[in-house]
Amino acid sequence: MTDFGSDASNLTLVLAEADSAPEVPSHGPVDWAKQHLFSSLSNTVQTALFTVVILGIVRWLLGLVFDEVTSWDAVATNLRLLFTYNYPADQYIRIWFTVGTLFVAAALSIAAWGVDPKVNVGKLAGKILGVGAFLVVIGIMAPTSNTIKTGLIVVGLVVAALSFGLIKLAGERDLTFFAFLSLVGAFWIAVLWLTPFGRNEFIDGAVVNAGGTINPTTKVPWTILILLFLGSVLVGRMLVRVIPPTLLRLFMVLFWVVGPAFLIFLVLRDPMFDWDKVVKVDIPLAIGFTVLGGALLYWLTKPGLGEIGRIVAASTLGIAAINWIAAFLGLYSMLQKTRVSFLALALFALAATTFAGEKSARLRFVGAWVGLVLVGHWLITGINTASTLDIAAPPFLGGFTLTLAISYYVMLASFPLGIMLALARTSSLPIFRVLATIYIEFVRGVPLITILFFFSVMLPLFLPGRMEISELAAVFLGYALFSAAYMAENIRGGLQSIRRGQFEASDALGLTTAQRTIFIVLPQALRVTIPNLVGQAIATFKETSLIAIVGGFDILRVAYQTIPSQPDFLGQNRPALLFICVIYWVFAYSMSRASRNLEAKLGVGTR
Amino acid sequence: MATTAVPGSAPNRIKRHQRPPIWRNVTVLKWGVQIIVLVLVIAAFLFLSTQAVNNLDQRGIPVDYGWVDGPANIQLGEGIDTVPNTAGRALWAGMVTTLRLASAGIIASTILGVLIGLARLSHNWIANRAASTYIETIRNIPVLVQILLWFAILTSLGDLGEVSSPGWVYVSKKGISLPRVFFADGFYQWMVFVIVGAALAMYVRRRIQAKQAVEGGTAPTASVPLSILAVFMIVGWFINPIVSPVGKIFDGIASVWGGIPQPAMQSIISVAAVLASVIWIKNFLDSRRSPAGLAKLTDDDWFRMIFSGVLALLAILFVWVVWPGLSSWIINSGRDFWELAGNKFGGGRDNQPLDAMRPTVSEGRFSNYGPTGWTMTVFFASLFFGLVLYTASFIAEIVRGGILAVAKGQSEAAAALGLSRTQALRKVILPQAFRVIMPPLGNQYLNITKNTSLAIAVGLSDVVQVGQSVYNKNNQTLAVFGIWMAFFLACSLTISAVVNFINGRLAIVER
Repeated sequence: MTDFGSDASNLTLVLAEADSAPEVPSHGPVDWAKQHLFSSLSNTVQTALFTVVILGIVRWLLGLVFDEVTSWDAVATNLRLLFTYNYPADQYIRIWFTVGTLFVAAALSIAAWGVDPKVNVGKLAGKILGVGAFLVVIGIMAPTSNTIKTGLIVVGLVVAALSFGLIKLAGERDLTFFAFLSLVGAFWIAVLWLTPFGRNEFIDGAVVNAGGTINPTTKVPWTILILLFLGSVLVGRMLVRVIPPTLLRLFMVLFWVVGPAFLIFLVLRDPMFDWDKVVKVDIPLAIGFTVLGGALLYWLTKPGLGEIGRIVAASTLGIAAINWIAAFLGLYSMLQKTRVSFLALALFALAATTFAGEKSARLRFVGAWVGLVLVGHWLITGINTASTLDIAAPPFLGGFTLTLAISYYVMLASFPLGIMLALARTSSLPIFRVLATIYIEFVRGVPLITILFFFSVMLPLFLPGRMEISELAAVFLGYALFSAAYMAENIRGGLQSIRRGQFEASDALGLTTAQRTIFIVLPQALRVTIPNLVGQAIATFKETSLIAIVGGFDILRVAYQTIPSQPDFLGQNRPALLFICVIYWVFAYSMSRASRNLEAKLGVGTR
Repeated sequence: MATTAVPGSAPNRIKRHQRPPIWRNVTVLKWGVQIIVLVLVIAAFLFLSTQAVNNLDQRGIPVDYGWVDGPANIQLGEGIDTVPNTAGRALWAGMVTTLRLASAGIIASTILGVLIGLARLSHNWIANRAASTYIETIRNIPVLVQILLWFAILTSLGDLGEVSSPGWVYVSKKGISLPRVFFADGFYQWMVFVIVGAALAMYVRRRIQAKQAVEGGTAPTASVPLSILAVFMIVGWFINPIVSPVGKIFDGIASVWGGIPQPAMQSIISVAAVLASVIWIKNFLDSRRSPAGLAKLTDDDWFRMIFSGVLALLAILFVWVVWPGLSSWIINSGRDFWELAGNKFGGGRDNQPLDAMRPTVSEGRFSNYGPTGWTMTVFFASLFFGLVLYTASFIAEIVRGGILAVAKGQSEAAAALGLSRTQALRKVILPQAFRVIMPPLGNQYLNITKNTSLAIAVGLSDVVQVGQSVYNKNNQTLAVFGIWMAFFLACSLTISAVVNFINGRLAIVER
């Protein structure tokens, strides 16, 4: 539906543009049609052919939507199931809080990057005119009752007439971005409070359609969220005047990388920590690693430290290795968190010479360590805490939330892995190159679904007796390893685009290989790779639907299996599938639009 | 201190003292780290596999491939064999279904994708907008969702009903059926004529082109070779039984191949491994050789050469000690292959090469496989439509990008030379566009092949779905997974080999 919506809106958009475009100032639609549709014989044939094909497809799609057997109640009643699955209703405030945080972050980002395009009223009204025309087309073609048809046509004509009037009256004017956002917000609030959507609910196992507008439990939070968003844009613009925008940008980038992980844990985990253990063990441990590790690293990054620094770094690695060996042999017990932290500290210590330099650079390095320890310990503590409430249905995480969570975590996890694989594959060290090549080509040669099967069915077989892993975690692990191979190929493309001169220049400056890679090669390579990475993010988002096959209750599984097995909507999988098509499309399409804008902004390919 | 020593011996001593200690020698460190990582990877691999073997032993699941010849106890929805005798046969039927789906999908999505890509470039406004709307819509919806939607739509179609005589086209909830052309008994014999005719036509075409290059003017570069081919095809259609003795040649090869003793095969593989290593070292030395003589070899170079030799030794160890069965497997399957080829000739195969059939319907359903109509079950059809429409949207963008990538000057230059628009497209634009199109197109072919595994979502008996049924029966998950891997890797390698070959051909044309 949406596709033809955009088609129709584009149609009228171009019509509107042609009306007001400078090249054809006084020509009407007839001249435009002559030029674009009937300029030659082949052009006319194409016009006729495509018109027939498009009308046929639209009619067929409308047939699917307005079919007698298609009960849209199945979707309307199960919206909550589709988006959050069995999430307990009394804990919903967490989801609202999460969405609210994301809204605020989006608003602050808009302010931080100074997004403030002028919105032309004429163009905007042109698009609305397109929507009106589209409604009229549906009204004419839809195979449904005459009341609905007439209603659609009337509404479409009214919308079209209003927007046409707007074009004539104020077509040349511009709206500020904030005014535009407020208009959109006001529109959605009006939709929430005025549409006769009906209150479709399951009450005592039966579908109840109470009529009226949308349920207050939905419309009140959304109204607050929209207002919050608009308010945050204003607050962000004030903030930018007070603090430097670069600082706010840095903060927002950090938030977008790490923030969703925090938020997902907020949704997932019980806020009632075992405070006693947290205070006595977790916090001292984190502080210890932050302070002592930070001090060690600060000392290690001192320039000209010489041999002694290496010895210290090597012995840290030794301690870390002994911890792990001891764990395998069962010699002395230790929190797994400590062991992991020691290993991380050893790796940082080994890398320290690379980051040796001025005080600010050293502090930045120490800052990275402190950030890693704090975030890592927070997450590990979060994982170790009990899960939200006890719920009758075991997989309470599901629906669209699961889709988003898995795609986000897979991208996050496969990114560093992909960088390492790409570096290994382009390395001059043959064994690394061969190993990375084998891994990448092997993984890329097999379908994702077999890897997911392997991890969900086989992983327990490979683990030592005592270890266990939940099926969803195993699937996530497999997906991340799969995605890393593709990520590596994307990044390799970026690495290969770096000119030879960059390598030679950094060698001439006397940088070590590690310094060259981290400070010179990777930043440039990743910048070139960004559009491809967004492309991969879209692919990951789409392919997350495969976890429905291996047992995850994502939005697809809910639409295809859960809803059609409800007694009221037995076998009704078509409406929900059409609905989730739209959901997926909206998300993937906006990501690809964003990537195209980003590409234009970065000037990739034009330099 | 060392530099102040006797002048005559100074260079040597400087060299000795400048050489860093072993723990600072970059070459040693580099190779040390690499070897440690390699050992760690191998150790992890060994650890995990012993773990798996132990776990499987505890559950009483033998770790071998003996079950392949065991009973399958499963029924397939469709394919070359719906009630397979052995598990291996079941998997083979699944593979054939996968290959059918993949090849049909590749052909259909290429045609559709090219058409949409050209429509996207059309000057006609409606064609242009329709194509871009199609692309933007379809590529942003997960292919699995599309497949399931097609399945939902197709299964809600009407029933087949009672049909007395064969019709032409059927669309129903049982599937879609069209008339089909199939290979009859004489096909392979006829192919001998077709191949000979094609070779001769190519040769004649070369001769005509060479003559045209010298003399200029117009020449029948297309019509004469095509008519030669046509004559061979027509004559071969009727007299194809006379080539049936070709089968004897294949039978002969089969018996020779099957007669190779196992140690001989092992020796051949070993010699090949050593030869490969020697050739690699020789090429390597050649690359280090300049007119001034062999460059001084660094430690790194020595490590590389030693590593290459060790690899050859490992290969020899592998074929003689670790898996001696590999050689006999190669011998047996080679013999089987040639025997199969021999069976396609002679022995009463004197029918026409091709035959056609309309859909046959009995008891409200289509016949499964064999000389009936060209039938797609709903399972196959939903996969087919989903994959083709999805992949076509990507191919369309690739085609469009490839044509746009040809510099505008090329078409202007072609026009300046007086070529017509069609000629310019055929001789100037498309050959260059193909070079850009081919690699990503190959990627899409790989994607479509891998995406056939989504068949499991609707229950089409492809290799993954059959594999899952097999391991649900006998718990041989690891082994089935190995078969999946080998199958898909073989498909990927074949497709990349074909694409690389075509790409190489195009690259030569380009210069």
